[in-house]
Amino acid sequence: MSLNRRKFLGTGAAAAGLVGLNGLPLRAQTKTLNVTAYGGVWEQAIRDCFVAPFEAKTGAKATVSLGGPAQWLAQVEANPENPPLDVLIMTPDLAVLAAEGDLMDEFTVEKLPNLANIPQAFTDACLGKGTYFDYGVGGITYNKQAVSEPPMSFAAFVDRVSSGEFVASVPSIQYGPTTVFFLWALNNALGGDVNNVDPFFEAMAKMKDNLVFWAGPNDFFNHLASGEADLGIYFDGRTWNHVDEGVDWIDFINPEEGGAMTAVAIQKPKNASDLAWDYLNEVLAPGPQAQFAEILNYGVTNTEVVYSEKLAARVTPLSKANLPPYAEIAKVRNEWVDRWNREIGM
Amino acid sequence: MSDTAQISARARRALLLAPALIFLAVFFVMPLADNSARSFIGEEGGFTLARYASFLTDRFYLGVIAETVILSAAVTLISVVIAYPVAYVLVRKAGRLSGLIIFLLIAPLLTSIIMRTFGWQVLFARRGLVNQWLVTDLGLLDAPLRWLNTPGLAIAALVHVLVPFAVLSIASVLQGVDRRLEEGALMLGASRFRTFFEVTLPLTMDGIGTGAILVFMIANGSFVTLVLLGGGFQTLPLLIYQQFNTTRDFALASTMSTILLVIALACLWLQLRLVRRQGV
Repeated sequence: MSLNRRKFLGTGAAAAGLVGLNGLPLRAQTKTLNVTAYGGVWEQAIRDCFVAPFEAKTGAKATVSLGGPAQWLAQVEANPENPPLDVLIMTPDLAVLAAEGDLMDEFTVEKLPNLANIPQAFTDACLGKGTYFDYGVGGITYNKQAVSEPPMSFAAFVDRVSSGEFVASVPSIQYGPTTVFFLWALNNALGGDVNNVDPFFEAMAKMKDNLVFWAGPNDFFNHLASGEADLGIYFDGRTWNHVDEGVDWIDFINPEEGGAMTAVAIQKPKNASDLAWDYLNEVLAPGPQAQFAEILNYGVTNTEVVYSEKLAARVTPLSKANLPPYAEIAKVRNEWVDRWNREIGM
Repeated sequence: MSDTAQISARARRALLLAPALIFLAVFFVMPLADNSARSFIGEEGGFTLARYASFLTDRFYLGVIAETVILSAAVTLISVVIAYPVAYVLVRKAGRLSGLIIFLLIAPLLTSIIMRTFGWQVLFARRGLVNQWLVTDLGLLDAPLRWLNTPGLAIAALVHVLVPFAVLSIASVLQGVDRRLEEGALMLGASRFRTFFEVTLPLTMDGIGTGAILVFMIANGSFVTLVLLGGGFQTLPLLIYQQFNTTRDFALASTMSTILLVIALACLWLQLRLVRRQGV
């Protein structure tokens, strides 16, 4: 038999097809879970603290998809019957949206024994279809070399920035959580509520000549490091991360009125693999959570967790943080964003 | 050639084009059409123009459109004005140094736009290098200037990113200009100034047009530089990102992106017409 080019290519394609088909049942049999994580230190912490014990206990594999909650939710919305992700890391407002859209499974102690040690308020805040596992607090971070007597409250922050005593770096509206940990928190501290955000916009008008805006957390640190701003609104955990990296001129204050608790929610899409329950139970377990907190310098939600001495001094207690009414905020958030665009700009 | 042979040649051409056409259709035309379609579908699932009506009758959004176009036009104009002399030196005067100039032009494009933009932040911060020179080293100022979040710095950063595109477009056309035409003009008594404006410049309008279109299109959709350096600009790309990232109003984002696309196509058409009218 003579083997010409056409026959050779045809035989090759057929062989490749057979090999491919042969692989299909093998892949289907493999127990694989697709979980999510933010990039950088977060990803490594997720792998070390949650993925590793999950794989050791179940013998299954977990792949980690990097990205952000808006993107992950869009992926699930695009294919709810066969979601490409089994576990979602979510911002609290998107967690509410996903729960309201009936895209997520209900969390119960039967499915997740460790849920028993998570405050019920955190599961309620996700409408029962998810819970919070980690949290930070938005407050005042300042450069100790430029600010000897920092403002101890949001009200003092507004007064002293308005008077020109400091230049402040505050989050811009391009940063997703801004509406909650800055707009709602400052408005709340100044006497406003979800249905009246005038105090916030009046304060911004007073401060406008002495403000710079950060679009992402690294941007804030650059503003302080380069002297563009003296202080600003930032997160406790991120501040401590900089301190651990050797930045000795930075410090954090939880304002007297209480900063907004900025939580990280975790959810399981409907129709996602049932293996997700084993993984989620690991995420809510005290041991892995304590390890996660040590790496990221953020508080965690399992009440059984015992922090190290160093971390205990840093983590803002739940009692000193305000839990924003995420579900209520979700209803008016777009109006707030529109008003911000028109009155403050980007 | 017989009919059968002609059909076979046509079929072969179609087959050769097919992969590229299918790729474009699946990964460019279909997503674009799907994106635009969202903006025309109402809450109830029927056809609607309501989003366009409310967007195009709102003074705030009209201001955003104007700001997007004016910013892109300003960046294009400055980039072309800077790029032309650079391209001229590169083609006509640089000689053996032309390779080095091209490398210097392209080198910044090899680094991330985020890094380049952060560089501007470091240089122009209140306690940055520029203010340190002006205040401490040279004593020209009593207090540091605030450069960041000003329109000038955002435009400068955009020009910095986009000038290489204009230089390369102009240089490639300048390279092809027949020098004998310029020599002829000079020999017939025209000054160097007149020769440049009446011979060289018209012959390079194609390059200027291509460079301007490239710069305008990229500036029109620029996002990272404006997010990081601010400048107080409110442009369509920033608002589109906000609809995805913060408000999750995908239909409004589709409306804005369709409008941005139409603006880009209209400007492209206009610029092409202007360039062609020069008779080149």
